[in-house]
Amino acid sequence: MVVDSQLMSFFTAGSLIVIGIFAALFLDNLIKKIIGLAFLGDGVNLFIITMGYKPGGIVYIFLPDMTISNFAQTSAYPLPFALVLTNIVIGASTLAVILGLVLILNKRHGSLSASKILRDKGE
Amino acid sequence: MDLNALIAVMIILPIASALFLNLLHKKDRTIKIIAIITAVVLPIIPLLTPYGSHFFGGYLPLAQNSTLAQGLPAIITGTQLSQFHLGIMYVFSSAQQLMIFILGIITFFAIFTFINETKKPSGVYAFLLFMGTASLSAILLSDDIFNLFVFFEIAALAQVGIVVASGIKDNYETALKYILIGNIAGPLLLLGIVMLLGVTGNVNVTDMIFSIKNGFVDPQSPVLLMALSLITFGWLYASGLPPFHTIKSEVYSKALPHGAALIQAFSVFTLVAIGIIIIRLFSYNPFTHIAIIGISVIAMILGITMALMQTDYKRILGYLAVGELGYIGIGLGLGTALGITAGLFQAINESVITSFLFIGFGTVLYKTRTSDTKKLGGMMYVNPKVALLVLLAGLAMAGVPPLNAFQSKLMLIQASIQSGLPEIGIIMILLSIVTFMTFMKAFYTVYMRPKPKELEVLDNKIPKSTIISLVAFLIICITLGLFPQIATSSLQTLAAGLV
Amino acid sequence: MNIYDFILKKMREVQKKAEEDQPITNITASAMLAAELTLIASVLVAVIMVRLIHPVLMIIMIAAVLIIAVMARPIMPRLRKEQNDDLNNMMFYIVVALGIVVALFYWGNLNV
Repeated sequence: MVVDSQLMSFFTAGSLIVIGIFAALFLDNLIKKIIGLAFLGDGVNLFIITMGYKPGGIVYIFLPDMTISNFAQTSAYPLPFALVLTNIVIGASTLAVILGLVLILNKRHGSLSASKILRDKGE
Repeated sequence: MDLNALIAVMIILPIASALFLNLLHKKDRTIKIIAIITAVVLPIIPLLTPYGSHFFGGYLPLAQNSTLAQGLPAIITGTQLSQFHLGIMYVFSSAQQLMIFILGIITFFAIFTFINETKKPSGVYAFLLFMGTASLSAILLSDDIFNLFVFFEIAALAQVGIVVASGIKDNYETALKYILIGNIAGPLLLLGIVMLLGVTGNVNVTDMIFSIKNGFVDPQSPVLLMALSLITFGWLYASGLPPFHTIKSEVYSKALPHGAALIQAFSVFTLVAIGIIIIRLFSYNPFTHIAIIGISVIAMILGITMALMQTDYKRILGYLAVGELGYIGIGLGLGTALGITAGLFQAINESVITSFLFIGFGTVLYKTRTSDTKKLGGMMYVNPKVALLVLLAGLAMAGVPPLNAFQSKLMLIQASIQSGLPEIGIIMILLSIVTFMTFMKAFYTVYMRPKPKELEVLDNKIPKSTIISLVAFLIICITLGLFPQIATSSLQTLAAGLV
Repeated sequence: MNIYDFILKKMREVQKKAEEDQPITNITASAMLAAELTLIASVLVAVIMVRLIHPVLMIIMIAAVLIIAVMARPIMPRLRKEQNDDLNNMMFYIVVALGIVVALFYWGNLNV
């Protein structure tokens, strides 16, 4: 049975996304929610990378010994990789802000339970 | 000099100023001077910039870029590929000019109020305000959907920072909730964008529309429909439409008044920008319009009925702001030129009026340090001028002539009747009346009823800058109310292009 | 017992279930009444728009809305309690909305 690696990669990305949303929704510990969100971001990144896959494609660096038409026909699609690099940076900065907030709230409330810290304050 | 470079300056100037102010944190005088200079220049740049496009890096499409097109094979230069945009493109026309100008005005008054109300203005807070403005200008200008996503994430982080910096009780919890929810909606929006990329091979909206209209892409393909639903979901988060209305109104209530004024401007303009992109890309699908109208009606009903039930006046304003977003959505969803013009005009009016209300009611917080209507009362005798200005702001929000929201709501009702949906017009009129009632309830409990004995009114004078900001907003409201053509003439070209 | 006392009694019942112990002021009661009427009126008018799909469906939906409004009154205190600031509550509605949006765009498109 020949396994299509791109299809498997899409499935992995999809399952990462679903696991991430599940963790962000149903787990009570804030750190576990954040790990779930990281899964979600990574799943989307993997999805993007998989989209740029070209069977038998070469790395999209135009070396001096290539012709333009050969390069255009065989290189993998470079745009998704640029998007992923930007998205990884966005994800990292957001993660830093979330973790900073959780740190302060943990010091204040002494707990990491989302239902205890983030409940309705009854205004 | 290539004046089209001013399009990029609209983004680069506030970012550079923000970074500079962040470095200068704790040097109060320098922060005040640089912040005011940037805030003054920001609304002026869009007035000076000529209409056109700006291609970042100078990468025009190959068909117009003969140096780059040299030596490329005919499979690229002879086909549609030569018309596609190579890099990030910003489009600046009359509608963007008006919206960025209004955003600049709101930013100016927010910075002006912030600098004069706090003794030691924080460079970091000014950084957040300017980064948010820069992101919103980029979101309004960008024709590249991934660039829009990047700036949308920056704007979300800036909003979280503005909430964290307010010092109001429970603001950290609100900020954490907002960013947790944003980290679910953001990646899903990106997933939608990436599905569009996968199907059309482009991130430039103009090129994507070309591909969809000219048969390169099957318009009914399931991936495209999934992309539409995910982008719509991300749009709901970015603008604060239901189911995100509770967290958005909580964010408005936990920010300082000038911060809340700016955050609501961000939500309104993000709704407009992403809504326009959804209409441009997906208007061939009739369900898009039905969905936008449906969500907007729910937003109006939920927002305004919930506003009636609140006791904290900042929550009342927050829910009213969310309810007014529904009017804008209906204008966009109707899909006719009059409807879209009316929706965009309502967006401009609503951002001005809600900023007016937030800064106006913010004076109450300044004097009494509380926002609970159960404990307030009798503020009219403390400062009657501000009470009058706030009353006029409330009349403006309800749509009383000759103020601006009357013109835009009238246009919206006319558009809905012309489209064959008079029920929407009836709901809009009903909810405007209830908005007025909600505002009068808040106004009465804060200003008109007798002052409770336990209420402590501080002796500090309301800064002149706040009153100047309120008067300026009132002048804008009256001007747009008496001469709506100033705004609608700029918006009509964009609306006609979308139909 | 006049209508006003009846309304206050209903509000107290919902409040007791919610275990809030804030006093119900005149302003709160009248605001809740106004919100209830607004909600029912706007939902009824919005449902009339269903006439564009099928007139009989519109009549059924109007009857359903009227029956729900009468049987389940007062709706507003419960609606207010549902739209609270709890993260789990918000997440629930967000995921429900995501499901509805995806399902509607994916399959609702076929018959329009």
